[in-house]
Amino acid sequence: MGKTSIVKIMERASGHPVKVGDRVWCNIDWATCRDFGGANAVLLFEKEMGKEAKVWDPDKLAFTFDLQAPAHSEKVATNQKIIREFCKRQGVKRVFDINHGIGQHVMLEAGMIKPGDVVLGTDSHMNLLGSVGAFATGVGNSDIAASYIAGKNWFRVPETMKIEVTGKFKKGVCMRDLLTHIIGDLGAGGMDFLAVEFTGETIENSSLNERITLCSMVTEMSGKVPLIMPNGEVLKWLVERAGPEVEKLAKELKADPDAEYCKVLHYDVTDLEPLASCPDAPDNVKPVREIAGTHVDQVHIGSCSNGRYEDIAAAHRVLMAGGGKVSPTVRTIITPSTTEVQLRCVEEGLAADFLKAGIVFTNPTCSLCTAEHYGAMPAGDVGCSTTNRNFIGKVGKGSHTYLMSPMTAMATAVKGCITDPRDILK
Amino acid sequence: MSEILKGRAWVFSDDVDTDLIYHNKYLAETDPKNMPQYAFEYYPGKENFAKEVKPGDFVVAGKNFGCGSSREHAVYCLEYAGVPCVLAETCSRIYYRNAINNGYPVLFVKGISEAIKEGKIKDGDQLEVELSTGTIRDVTNGNTFHGDAVSDLENDIMEAGGLMNYMKAKVGAK
Amino acid sequence: MGKTFAEKVLGRAAGYEVTANQVVTVEPDFCMSHDNGAPIARTFKKIGVTNVKYPERICLILDHAVPAPTSDHAVNHKEVREFVAAQGIPNFYDVKSEGGVCHQKMCEEGYALPGLVMVGSDSHTCTYGAFGAFSTGIGRSEMAAVWATGKLWFKVPESMKVVVTGKFKPGVSAKDFILKFIGDVRADGADYMSVEFHGEGIENMSIAERMTLCNMGIEFGAKNAVCKPDKKLLDLIKERGNAKSDRWEALWADEDAVYAKEFHYDLGDITPGVAKPHKVDNYSPIEEVKGTKIHEAFLGSCTNGRIEDLRLAAGILKGKKVAVRTVVIPASWIVYRQAMKEGLIDIFLDAGCIICNPGCGPCMGNHEGILAPGEAAISTANRNFKGRMGDKESFIYLASPMTVAASAIKGEISDPREAL
Repeated sequence: MGKTSIVKIMERASGHPVKVGDRVWCNIDWATCRDFGGANAVLLFEKEMGKEAKVWDPDKLAFTFDLQAPAHSEKVATNQKIIREFCKRQGVKRVFDINHGIGQHVMLEAGMIKPGDVVLGTDSHMNLLGSVGAFATGVGNSDIAASYIAGKNWFRVPETMKIEVTGKFKKGVCMRDLLTHIIGDLGAGGMDFLAVEFTGETIENSSLNERITLCSMVTEMSGKVPLIMPNGEVLKWLVERAGPEVEKLAKELKADPDAEYCKVLHYDVTDLEPLASCPDAPDNVKPVREIAGTHVDQVHIGSCSNGRYEDIAAAHRVLMAGGGKVSPTVRTIITPSTTEVQLRCVEEGLAADFLKAGIVFTNPTCSLCTAEHYGAMPAGDVGCSTTNRNFIGKVGKGSHTYLMSPMTAMATAVKGCITDPRDILK
Repeated sequence: MSEILKGRAWVFSDDVDTDLIYHNKYLAETDPKNMPQYAFEYYPGKENFAKEVKPGDFVVAGKNFGCGSSREHAVYCLEYAGVPCVLAETCSRIYYRNAINNGYPVLFVKGISEAIKEGKIKDGDQLEVELSTGTIRDVTNGNTFHGDAVSDLENDIMEAGGLMNYMKAKVGAK
Repeated sequence: MGKTFAEKVLGRAAGYEVTANQVVTVEPDFCMSHDNGAPIARTFKKIGVTNVKYPERICLILDHAVPAPTSDHAVNHKEVREFVAAQGIPNFYDVKSEGGVCHQKMCEEGYALPGLVMVGSDSHTCTYGAFGAFSTGIGRSEMAAVWATGKLWFKVPESMKVVVTGKFKPGVSAKDFILKFIGDVRADGADYMSVEFHGEGIENMSIAERMTLCNMGIEFGAKNAVCKPDKKLLDLIKERGNAKSDRWEALWADEDAVYAKEFHYDLGDITPGVAKPHKVDNYSPIEEVKGTKIHEAFLGSCTNGRIEDLRLAAGILKGKKVAVRTVVIPASWIVYRQAMKEGLIDIFLDAGCIICNPGCGPCMGNHEGILAPGEAAISTANRNFKGRMGDKESFIYLASPMTVAASAIKGEISDPREAL
């Protein structure tokens, strides 16, 4: 019988055959931390192992600063400093300081991530790196600190769910809407502990940013790891960044045609319409037209789910089709995911249009998604956001958030109330 | 080991996310001892948990407890408040790892989600929990539940007192 | 006997002739508040008056922490929005790409005008003197009272005359001059006084440079600081065509006015310098601090976040890489857009700087670039008090945009003249 991608990846990482349900020790390719969790991991490692202890391989550590970049609290400033100094002592070179952007995106752009890599990070959305076939997973600081000892960590080999996607999105509808649809369908625990392979023509023809969106939200269904082996344009992009080895890995680690899945689901996007996750849970899904007209105080576009150039460009198209101005009653914030994205927005003129429109265009960071940055909300305010969580009080006690695609978010910013982007993109 | 733990129940719903357990407002904290003061601050109706919880009290929850973030704070804030274990139908993957990695017990209790919804276990109920057998008695209303502790490698890590200790032993570090 | 600028403006506002040390009650033409509009609104409500006296004279500009970094800030902003709506205040700059640092907005949106009396619940309100206004910072309770009554009492200040001749040498700018000046007269050198900048040295300066001078007035104790409303300024006001009041009049001191103190400076003698921790008057020429290790560079604030400042810094940063984290915050979205048009944003990003949205940034320690214990920053802002930008064990060196840019490249305090 054939093997799923995650079985192949874990066999490669552990050096021996594995089967579903096994607990295996895998070699870690990257043990990464953000400015959140990073200081905790570093302090724990030094407390348990001593100040003089060396990490197993400084070239396999990375740190990214995106929780608060730049810091606005002394505590985070101090945590960032603890990390910088640890890295100096340990000879860790990959410190992506406050001028880079969201961790996973920065590491992807830097060519660090290849299919089959085992990547740990103090970010529950680490697994979006499954968009290029890596086994990346969010962990706590103990997992990171323990990995520093010997470069290994334990995993249970998960069952795999397969999701086949067919059809083409209609105008105004995008990958985010499919994802929202799936969350509504499966619920917050719908992928508990599972690996998820996305396949089918829609996926094969999708761009990297679409794959990132899809993979980032698997966390909201408690999935362990989403996997899409690179092909086409994505493969080309990744080979350019991460080297020629990618091609071989993508081929080798692709699931066998006769692999066994615990569940196979099929979605067709042809008739999909714009959707939103309503307050206060990602799986509280409704069509945008049913909530159209809802008053909104703030719109935010960005995050590891939808902060790529293509996401921002899609929002830009809606803005321009809607007359180039956002409603004066809505605070609109756009946060590019990385400096590379920010620079492209500036060079291609999008940023200028945003500023003319009345939009706050920030430096790359996790922004309000971590609640402790741009766009925290007061009690009673309603926000729309392309981020991935709208838990109770997440961005401010007593505030409520609708999650949606960049197109819907911008349509909403233009009209001042929740709006179906198809009403603007006629 | 047949020790019976006794304490009051604090009862929570399904899908309790990490922001409800430990809000992202306080993520910059690095000392676990400072974390209990923020536990459940954002959970509607349980805002006083941190003030009123007593060492020995249990956290009882439905399905998918601890979904969301990777923050280990969500484990520490209960562990350091003296909550001896979490009793939940299921818990999220990362929360599970974080608990195991700290040697912090989580009992998986079949049917507890429904029992919570039906009011068969309520806030303030006196519970008796035998970790070795997984038996949970609600002394207040006489209901009994059964929880499964972890097995396999997870159990070894638990017994070592957490992942750091386990790894240290594995590589022979002092 | 001739009149000083302060005597003329306050006399005009009072409707009769006044002299120094006299107490007058006047109606300020504009009163500005930022995020602290929220606590002021709370105080206002306690006064027991239902409506503000002159809604059109009130300006509210959110800038201290935008977009809100915490829910506490968010609640604060919301209170301001609700007050603005309830009182029908037309001059409100919310979290949008129309805003910026309050003082920059007051100057670029046509509020700051010659001969006006302006107050703000922020100590750097003295910036508007660059536009010939008599402007000064007041407290929150005082501001609540102004909102309620439209009036405020002033003691007509004595005046200091600073006569400036000559031109800056390359690598030197207005910030270097004002830091040197503060070092000379000390932090209380102009306590309670109205400071007038005279001379062809000032007339040669851009309005942006004059704003830097007047902005720093409070750092040597001035009640207000002002430059002569000359042709350069009047042309700018005309060209912009956005004057928000028609009550303005270009007033200036008489030749024979009486001054409590007088100083003379030749700009040709000024060299790059810094204010060392933890006092603004702790001046050193650049030579004495060269090589001091820094961890952060900050370019921005109401003191030095204008397009002219960004141009000077970009001139040094072009084609180079910064060695420390470098936070660049244009003073307003108008400045940001101009910088984008001129390709400056590209230069900063290519150099590895981080470009934040306009606002006060890390200047007063609550946003975008806080310092950790033991860290040192070089900054174009106006204060280096202990702990102002973060931890109480951090250090701030104040300097010009060119010095900040040159230092960012080397990771240590550097002489900008060597980078030109």
